[in-house]
Amino acid sequence: MAQARTSADAPADVIIVGSGAAGGMAAYTLTKAGLRCLMLEAGRDYDPQAEVNMFAPESDAPLRGSSTPDKPFGYFDATVDGGWEIDGEPFTNREGTDFRWWRPRMLGGRTNHWGRHVPRWGPYDFKPFSRDGLGVDWPIAYDDVAPFYDRVEKMIGVNGGPIGLENHPDSPPDCLMPPPKPRVTEMLIKAAAESVGIPVRPAHTAVLTRDMPDPVAPRKACFNATPCTRGCTIGAMWQTTTSFLPMAKATGRLTLVTDAMVARVLTGTKGRVSGVEYIDRKTGKRQQVRARAVVLAAGTLETTRLLLNSGEAGRGLANSSGQLGKNLTDSTGATFSAYIPGLADRPRYNEDGIGGQHIYIPFWDYDRQKRGELDFARGYHFEIGGRFGIPPMGVMPRVWGGDLKKAVRHASGATISLVLRGEMIPNADTFCEADPQVKDRFGIPVLRFAFKWSRHEINQVAHGRRSAQSVFEKMKGTLLFDPNVPPEKMMTAGGEIIHELGTARMGPDARTSVVDSYGQAWDADNLVLMDGAIFASGAHKNPTLTILALALRSSERLATRIKSGAIA
Amino acid sequence: MTPSRRETLQWMIAAAALPLARWTPPAMAGEAAAPFQTVADWPASVPSLPATKGYGRDPDLMDPKVPWPLTLTKPQRATVDLLGDMILPADDVSPGAGQLGVGAFIDEWISAPYPAQQADRARIVGGLMWLDAQAQALHRRAFTGLDVGQRSAMLDALCTAAPAGAMEKPVAFMDRLRGLFVLGFYSLPEGKKDMGYVGETPVEGPYPGPTPEALAHLSQLLGTLKLTPA
Ligand SMILES: Cc1cc2nc3c(=O)[nH]c(=O)nc-3n(C[C@H](O)[C@H](O)[C@H](O)COP(=O)(O)OP(=O)(O)OC[C@H]3O[C@@H](n4cnc5c(N)ncnc54)[C@H](O)[C@@H]3O)c2cc1C
Ligand code: SF4
Repeated sequence: MAQARTSADAPADVIIVGSGAAGGMAAYTLTKAGLRCLMLEAGRDYDPQAEVNMFAPESDAPLRGSSTPDKPFGYFDATVDGGWEIDGEPFTNREGTDFRWWRPRMLGGRTNHWGRHVPRWGPYDFKPFSRDGLGVDWPIAYDDVAPFYDRVEKMIGVNGGPIGLENHPDSPPDCLMPPPKPRVTEMLIKAAAESVGIPVRPAHTAVLTRDMPDPVAPRKACFNATPCTRGCTIGAMWQTTTSFLPMAKATGRLTLVTDAMVARVLTGTKGRVSGVEYIDRKTGKRQQVRARAVVLAAGTLETTRLLLNSGEAGRGLANSSGQLGKNLTDSTGATFSAYIPGLADRPRYNEDGIGGQHIYIPFWDYDRQKRGELDFARGYHFEIGGRFGIPPMGVMPRVWGGDLKKAVRHASGATISLVLRGEMIPNADTFCEADPQVKDRFGIPVLRFAFKWSRHEINQVAHGRRSAQSVFEKMKGTLLFDPNVPPEKMMTAGGEIIHELGTARMGPDARTSVVDSYGQAWDADNLVLMDGAIFASGAHKNPTLTILALALRSSERLATRIKSGAIA
Repeated sequence: MTPSRRETLQWMIAAAALPLARWTPPAMAGEAAAPFQTVADWPASVPSLPATKGYGRDPDLMDPKVPWPLTLTKPQRATVDLLGDMILPADDVSPGAGQLGVGAFIDEWISAPYPAQQADRARIVGGLMWLDAQAQALHRRAFTGLDVGQRSAMLDALCTAAPAGAMEKPVAFMDRLRGLFVLGFYSLPEGKKDMGYVGETPVEGPYPGPTPEALAHLSQLLGTLKLTPA
C-alpha cells in the first residue's frame, strides 16, 4: 500500500487507532457509511504483495527459518518489528509474574500472521455467571451477536462445516464456504476420539475455499501449498492488508498514517474526548489531531494502556468504575503429542491442505460439568497437528548412519499433537497497570502485569491431559509427554497464547464497567473501544471472530449516532 | 496461539530444532554400547563468539541473508563434514550430509549470536574438541586421522543408551549434532525428496485429500486398532 501515507491534517469525523482486526473493521464500516476516517497505526507501512515470500523453502532462510529472539515464529513469519519484544518499548511484570505480550509493529497488526481459527462463541460464553456463578454475565447474549457473526463470516470468508453440539452454534446455511477434506491423521484422530465419546468436527477457518470477487480487493481460493503465517499474496487467508484496508481506502474517505504511535487521548468539554496525540516513530515529532469521535482498536492491552495514560493522572480516562486494567485473561495452553507406530511408513500424499488444521475437537463435557462432576468451570478445545515432515529426534532410536536415515523415513508423519486452548476466569490477581517508573523510548509509561492461573485453569489442563491420553491410547500411541508432572508445570505462561482479553470490560452500568455493549465509554460518549479490551470474559474459543462481530455492531451504531447528530 | 501459527518453522522443522524434553521418550532406549576404557576430560571452555549481530526484527524476507560470520576452524569444519557423511551417509536414496554441505549449516548455527544457538555452540565446539582428545587418548591421532573402524566404534559409544558420568556430555553432544544434521539435511530439497515429502506446489480447486493408497492404509490401521471409521 504505497499510497497509504497521507496527511493527517485533513478533517476527519472519526479517528481510528490501530489497523488490525478491529481497526480494519471500523475503517471499512465507517467509510462505507460515508464518514471520513483518520487511521493512526504505530507500525510501519506493510504491503503483503511486495514482502511476503510465499514459496521460498525454509532452507533459504538463516538457521533453516528456525525461531530466534528476533523472529520468534521463524524467519519468514510475517511479524514485522516486534514479537515478544520491541526495541525501546518494554513492558514490566510484578514480582512472581511471567506475562508475555505479542506485539507486531506493522500495518494490519496481528491479522498478517495469525492462526485463522475462528469458532463462534455460544450462549454460555456470553452468560457465564448465570451458568456457574463465576465472573460476570455480558450485557448482551448470543442472539444479539449472531446476526453479526453471520455477516462477518461472509465478509471475511470462513470455511467450515456443521458442529451440532451444545454451546457450539451452527452458522446459517449460506455463511460458510465448504471445508477441506480431512487428512489421514485427522481421520484417525476422529475415529479414536469418537470411540471414547470425544467429538471431532470440521474447524472454522478464515481461509477461502472459493474465490471471493471484489472490484477493489478480489481474493482467490486457497491453493493448498504455503505456510499461511507468512501472509498470503492471493488473499485467501483473511488479513486486513488485503481486504478491509484497501476497500476502505477506495472509498476516498480513509486517511492512513503509519509510524504514528498514539500516546494519549485528549479530553474536551462536556465529558467528551476531542482527539489524540501521537508521536511519529521515525522523527519523534508530537502531533495532535481532532475529530468528532475516537475509536480505540490498538489491541486489547495497548487500548487500555492509552486510557491509563490519558485523563486524570493516576486514574486514567473513562475509569470511574475503577475497572480499567482489571479482568485480564488469556487462554490456557498445553501441547500433548504422541508417536503412533501404526502411522509409520504410511503412503505419502500431499498433506499441505489449507495450512492449519482441517478438523478440531470442541469442548464436549458440558453435561457432566453442569452436574458438578468436573473439578473446573468452563471449557477447552483441542486444535490438531500431525503431518508429514521431519520427525522429532525423541521418537527415533539413538542411532547413526544408514539406520538413522531409515528411522527418519519410517517415522515421518507418525507424530500427532493435540493442542489445548481453554477458558480462563477473570481473577483479582491478574491485571495490568501503568508502571509508576518505567517509560518507553517515547516517554510513554509502559504497562506492568500481574498474572495468576486459578485451580479452575489448572484442573482443566489436567482433564485435557487425561482426555488426550485416552485418545492416544486408542491409537496405541507412545506418549511424548510426561503424564505425571503437575499440570501447572506444563501450561503456557500468561499471555503466551496471545488471546489477551478484558481490562476495559463492558457491562450494564457505569459503576461496574468501562463501556456499554457498543464499546462506548460510560464516561465519554464519543469514545468507542472496539477490540478485545471490552470483553466481559474470555471463552475457550479464539476471540477474533467475536472481536470482528462486535466491532461491526459498534461501528454501525457509531455511524448512526454521528449521522443522526447525537455526536456533534 | 494455534498449532497452525507455529507452522512456519513448524510443519517441517520445529520438532527437529527443539532441544530434547526433560523426559526421555521410550524410543531413545537403544542397546548399550561398550563404553570407553578411558574417557577424555570435557574441555573447560570453548573459544567465545566474536561480537556479531543477528538479522534484527525486520529483515528483508525476499532476500534472506546470514549476516554473521562463520566461526568453525578449517579442521573443525573438516571433522563436521566427515561426521555428516557418517551420521547421514550416502545411500541409494540420497547423498550424504557432508557431501551436501550441511556442515556449512552447522557452522552457521553455532556461529549465530542467539542464546539457543550459543548453548549449542558450547555443546558442539566442545564436543569437537573432546572428540579429538578422546581419539588421541585411544589411538594417538586426531579424529579425522582414524580409520573407519575406529571412528565407527567411537560413534557407537556416543550413541549409548544410558550414558553416565563422564560420558553424559559427550553423548549429549552427539545427540545434538545428530539432531542438527537431521534438521539441516531434511529441510533441503534433497532431504524432503528422501523422506518422500509431497507438497509445496499449488493445487487449484478444493484440496484433493488423501490418495486411495493412503486411505487403504488408514482403513487397515483402523481395523488393527479395532476402531470404526468416523
Ligand atoms: C501468531 C498468532 C496466531 C493467532 N491465532 C489466532 C487464531 O487462530 N484465532 C483467533 O481468533 N485469534 C488468533 N490470534 C489473535 C488475533 O491475531 C487477535 O485477536 C486480533 O488480531 C486482534 O485484533 P486487534 O485489532 O484487536 O489487534 P491487532 O491485530 O493486534 O491490531 C492492533 C494494531 O494497533 C496498533 N497499535 C498498537 N498500539 C498503538 C498505538 N499506541 N498507536 C497506534 N497504533 C497502535 C498495532 O501496531 C496493531 O497494528 C493470533 C495471534 C497471533 C499473533
Ligand atoms: S495455504 Fe492457502 S491461505 Fe495459506 S498462504 Fe497458501 S494460499 Fe494462502
